[in-house]
Amino acid sequence: MWRVIKSVLAAFFGVQKEARRREDFGRGDGRAFIVAGIVMGVVLVVLVALIAHLAAG
Amino acid sequence: MRTMLVWATGALALAGIPQAALANGWNMPVGVTDVSRDIYSLHMVIFWICVVIGVLVFGAMFYSLFRYRRSQGASAAQFHEHTTVEVIWTAIPLLILIGMALPATATLRTMYDASQADLDVMVTGQQWRWRYEYLGEEVAFTSNLGTPREQIAGGDEKGENYLLEVDEPLVLPVGQKVRLLMTSDDVVHSWWVPDLAVKQDAIPGFVNENWVRINEPGIYRGQCAELCGRDHGFMPVVVEAVEPEQFDQWLAQRKEAATQAAMGIDREWGLDELMTRGEKVYGSICASCHQPDGSGSPPTFPALAGNQAMLDERARHIDTVVNGVSGTAMPAFRSTLNPVEIAAVITWERNAWGNETGDIVQPSEIAEQLSE
Repeated sequence: MWRVIKSVLAAFFGVQKEARRREDFGRGDGRAFIVAGIVMGVVLVVLVALIAHLAAG
Repeated sequence: MRTMLVWATGALALAGIPQAALANGWNMPVGVTDVSRDIYSLHMVIFWICVVIGVLVFGAMFYSLFRYRRSQGASAAQFHEHTTVEVIWTAIPLLILIGMALPATATLRTMYDASQADLDVMVTGQQWRWRYEYLGEEVAFTSNLGTPREQIAGGDEKGENYLLEVDEPLVLPVGQKVRLLMTSDDVVHSWWVPDLAVKQDAIPGFVNENWVRINEPGIYRGQCAELCGRDHGFMPVVVEAVEPEQFDQWLAQRKEAATQAAMGIDREWGLDELMTRGEKVYGSICASCHQPDGSGSPPTFPALAGNQAMLDERARHIDTVVNGVSGTAMPAFRSTLNPVEIAAVITWERNAWGNETGDIVQPSEIAEQLSE
């Protein structure tokens, strides 16, 4: 679980170690990454909206 | 070492450009409001950040191209993936962007806070002029292009403020927060005055808000910034910023003129309408003493019907109604009645009950006498 989150965060940032990438792709099942990606995408949007709201208030 | 010197000279040359551009009017104006100054310094700070980044990035690139060229025996390093470097070159732009976003957001917040204004002005775009309405003050007017047609289509020499002059500028007080409510009667226009850092769309069916607090008295020019039809280039904006006392004076004057126009003082009246109005005024004000038939109650209230002295001296008749006669029961009506009522009642008295002088006393004549 923590590994998946870390990999998604690395993808958001745009930088990932080659060794990690090989490990992730070696798992054979991508569903956990897709679900984590969508959930964390939503979290990011909410977070940005919250910061914007705070800045405007 | 020599290469470094070349770059330093290049950077200095770049640094010289904005100063020259500013002097030549190539840069955006500093403006005359706190907001316009904020925007200008944001613009300059971000400009210099871009200059520094540009010099560093292109400097490193050109230096490498030159220093490690093939003819000098350089060979490319073959490596792939360096996580630390990648993190650094991702994080630095992120920090720079946040660093620019913080002051920019603060300025935006100020710009959008149109609350607690001292004065509200409705700005309405029309093809092709601006209409200004001082809300709650009953002062409104349209501001039309002031440049003569002969300068546009004819051979006349073009003036200093060609296409940036109007017949009546928007007058605003300095040091006060003025809220501008923008809308349009027809198509989308945009009210733009660079010195005030205001460029706001005027959209039919919407009311957009903006505000301005001008620091320095002066005349600030702008124009419509949204293509709005044939005469888009012929609807300039001129703002005249004056001291608050001068503004109050101007506003009072405009209000006075508006009321006078509403009463009809500025136009020529006919005998019939003056008689109709005059009969009413006479009935409610004069008839109690001078009697409805003008016979009066001598000697205290002289008769008006057939009063030859009154009919012979028109000027004295006016003076009697306006200023009264001291030592008698005749009061002054200068503040009780408005100029239209005074003119009407005098006209009535000079033409009723067989007094057929045919005299007409115009409201404008009375207004003039009252203002003396």
